[in-house]
Amino acid sequence: MIYNPFPMRVVSKRDEAPGVRTLRLEFVKQEDHDYFSTNYRTGMFGLYGIFGEGESTFCVASPETRKEYIECTFRQSGRVTTTLANADAGDIVTFRGPYGNRFPIEEFEGKNLLFIAGGIALPPTRSVIWSCLDQREKFGNVTIVYGARTVADLVYKDELDEWKRRDDVNLVLTVDPGGETPDWQDHVGFVPSVLEKVAPSPDNTIAVLCGPPIMIKFTLNALEKLGFSAENVYTTLENRMKCGVGKCGRCNVGSVYICKEGPVFTAAEVQAMPQADL
Amino acid sequence: MTRILLHTRLDDCLAAWRASGYSVLAPSKSHELTRFNEVQHASDMALDLVLPERTIKDHFFPQTEPLIRYRIKKHEIDTEEMVPPELKRIFFGVRPCDASGLAIDDPLFGWDYKDEYWFRRRGNSVIVTIACTSADDFCMCTSVQLSPDSTKGSDVMLTPLKDGRGWQVLALTDRGNALLETIPSILQESDAEPAPPASVPVKFDIDKVTAWLADPASFESHFWKEISQRCIGCASCTFLCPTCHCFDIQDEGDTYSGIRRKNWDSCSFAMFTMHTSGHNPRNTQSTRWRQRIMHKFNYYRGKFDVNSCSGCGRCTRQCPVDMGITETLQSISNLPR
Repeated sequence: MIYNPFPMRVVSKRDEAPGVRTLRLEFVKQEDHDYFSTNYRTGMFGLYGIFGEGESTFCVASPETRKEYIECTFRQSGRVTTTLANADAGDIVTFRGPYGNRFPIEEFEGKNLLFIAGGIALPPTRSVIWSCLDQREKFGNVTIVYGARTVADLVYKDELDEWKRRDDVNLVLTVDPGGETPDWQDHVGFVPSVLEKVAPSPDNTIAVLCGPPIMIKFTLNALEKLGFSAENVYTTLENRMKCGVGKCGRCNVGSVYICKEGPVFTAAEVQAMPQADL
Repeated sequence: MTRILLHTRLDDCLAAWRASGYSVLAPSKSHELTRFNEVQHASDMALDLVLPERTIKDHFFPQTEPLIRYRIKKHEIDTEEMVPPELKRIFFGVRPCDASGLAIDDPLFGWDYKDEYWFRRRGNSVIVTIACTSADDFCMCTSVQLSPDSTKGSDVMLTPLKDGRGWQVLALTDRGNALLETIPSILQESDAEPAPPASVPVKFDIDKVTAWLADPASFESHFWKEISQRCIGCASCTFLCPTCHCFDIQDEGDTYSGIRRKNWDSCSFAMFTMHTSGHNPRNTQSTRWRQRIMHKFNYYRGKFDVNSCSGCGRCTRQCPVDMGITETLQSISNLPR
């Protein structure tokens, strides 16, 4: 029934950055896996939990092209995330979902893609990135602009290396001023200003933007300046949630329920929301 | 000629219903609080109240309810869903506003994902409503397009007789008809006249209110700060509301065994929307009060084509600082245009 989560087995865990961890989870029951495989599309979210502590909402960080498992990446900050972070391979945690809407990647086919992410918001972006890279031939040029406060705060370092090596991906990394290490070879500066230097032409290009609210705000300005129309910019919103299915009454921004009508919105849709409720 | 039920036959009625496997809940007093409790005799009932202090919502969406029992061993998890039993229950002496409240919440608990915890309790419950022939200063059903004799959400409608001997009885649904079939010899044909419904003055113009709320410019109006100054964020209004449905999910137990529960929550509380990062989209009492009013009279209408308010007036009647929805909506209705 509605609030009963799937039991999930922790297969592996990986440290991404100080306090940030990725868990790879596999379904314990075949029927749960079948349900997930049928319903999951990139951009959707879930409630990850441990009985006795509760549930927390994060995106599914793994792509829709790899549905044998679920990966979630989270910062250890409260009771649930601390307990999840302490789970070892073989331990059982829970997952409820997949919920919400998705990035309509089939509408992106034949277009250039510009991914922009800040800090811990790479995980939702990464789900879309791999969903597209796993069917690379369908899309035009792929540019990824990713920034974090410091070099240590960049997540998915192995994958960043992989994207850097690929000649069909243009990866641009940046860290905030003061966050660089002596051997840092990439950009130093905030994402919006770096973006203005490296962004591809807005012609036939879709932008996918995920980050903290303040970064979103300034990056949207930068994209507008670069000539991107708000209909071609996608982002994903997060709010506190308990049910995930439109009943517990807290995740709305204005009349929009993030859990049901989101979490994926175009910039035009976000701009139409009452900004003071974000 | 219509069917009537005499007050003097109410005990026979209760006995017949119990014999048919129903339990009967009616307004009664327990611990100085009037609410719906299971009753055995007509004398247990407090049917002359304008409204009991608590709504029947408590019996469909309880203050706290178990969802899942869990037991965890090292690499195993054992869960059991705590599905509420589909009890045959009669809610007798419900007021039209409380009955409407159930009907207002049905689409919310049913859209897309069905909340069985609500619908299993709804399934075999029969709502026997008594039309209001008296009201108090806080009643406001007529202001939200309902009335003291509204049939919305009811299975059987009882209308008090003018002569005070009982009620005129009208079945409104199959469930209501089935209930009356268990008491054929207790009801009688009569041409006794029903009493007129209570007079409940309209307190604000709901169309003006909803139009103002739907205007995007209203969201950041200074009005919200002024009108919510007195609010102490106690959430009484939400807990006593027949349509407020917001909840939290919490685990009671430890990491070995326990129960996951669904508990009432309220948009009045700062923690309701607080992010882990500390960011809070609704971080002041005025933004929370705005959410409450917008949710009931703008967002909910947009989604389900009905106001999330049945006009019972409890939010004002029982507010410790004498605030409430009525005053806010009156003020909106009176704003210069």
